[in-house]
Amino acid sequence: MSTTRHMVNRQRRLAAVKARETPTPAPRAPRPRPKSGEKPARTARGAVPRPLLLALLTLLAVLAAAFAVFAHSRAEAARDLPALRNTALTDTARTSEVKGTVGQAVDAVFSYDHAAPGRTEKAADKYLTGKAVGQHRDMLAQVRSQGDRQKLVLSTTVTHSGVEVIDEDRARVLVFADQSNTSTAKGGSATHAAAMFAVDVVHRGGAWRIANIDTFSR
Amino acid sequence: MARTTFRHRTKLSLASAAAALALGFAAWTGSSWYAAAHDDSAHFARTRDEVLAAGEQAVLNMNTLDHRDLERGLDAWEQSATGDLLDELREGRVEFEKQVRTARTVTTADVLSGAVTELDEREGRAGVLIAVRITVDPPKKKPSTKESRLLGELTRTGDGWKLSGLGQAPAGETPTDTPSD
Repeated sequence: MSTTRHMVNRQRRLAAVKARETPTPAPRAPRPRPKSGEKPARTARGAVPRPLLLALLTLLAVLAAAFAVFAHSRAEAARDLPALRNTALTDTARTSEVKGTVGQAVDAVFSYDHAAPGRTEKAADKYLTGKAVGQHRDMLAQVRSQGDRQKLVLSTTVTHSGVEVIDEDRARVLVFADQSNTSTAKGGSATHAAAMFAVDVVHRGGAWRIANIDTFSR
Repeated sequence: MARTTFRHRTKLSLASAAAALALGFAAWTGSSWYAAAHDDSAHFARTRDEVLAAGEQAVLNMNTLDHRDLERGLDAWEQSATGDLLDELREGRVEFEKQVRTARTVTTADVLSGAVTELDEREGRAGVLIAVRITVDPPKKKPSTKESRLLGELTRTGDGWKLSGLGQAPAGETPTDTPSD
């Protein structure tokens, strides 16, 4: 079977080559003989009569335009998906930038040393903005008020974090952190706590700052 | 006669121009559509959201259990799991059923927040961080809630993404940044 097909194909190929090699025959006589009074150009266009050609072209234009509109709307829809607005993980550089800054910020603003309370203030100035400033003040109020007497040292370490959303200059990060609160006064003790919260960060003045701290309280 | 020809010709060239223009637009928008549909990062973004949704649902399933409907609850657990986690669940099922029957608890959960921490599309593996609030309602006692910090590992299966590992984020002094495995 295959041999036969081979042969047939070969013959076809040969015939094609031969056809190419033979000089093109003189142009055939115009098929529909021009009737008297009619211009040859009109009929020389071939088998498609003019009204049909016009209709076909119009149809083509309409179809192509319709497709263009459809494709445009589909492309827009595909680009406008919420999944695509969120560049967490897809933009690896920005993701690690956000993650890194949040880690540093949380470690710094939720750490407090009674001997150097200014350090926490400075960190808060550097990393917090908007609502987070007040939230942070409330969260640390107790530590601050008892800090001196009990010689408190609060330290916070982010153990895990994940960037939930990055939408241009805003992002949200889920944070798991370990906290230890040590009283270095006589008879003092240490308490450890596992914390989880989410922070909303905004990109302002070339840096990411925490704008809101969500502790999931009801 | 000449006038008709002229009109015909104008119509024809107009139609040709319109067709050419429309074809041009169609090619342009078509390729833009193709590009949008085959954008790698778009695909990655959709997979990321898929992974998060699967992870959150699985965590929800595995923290939901009603002692009055154990079979269905535990079936849902197994449907959310694959790999090692599934083996563990199957192994402990009988013992666990007994415990819950005795305790007669109803456990429900809320996902507070979740994030995908890593995603390897080629390997079909991903890591998630999920914060949940779990409410345990024992008989004749007030329900208690606790918050849980979970690290999950997901694996792609023929039936979507499923949890292949799940555990609490260890609370200790050692900072790690990878899900426990």
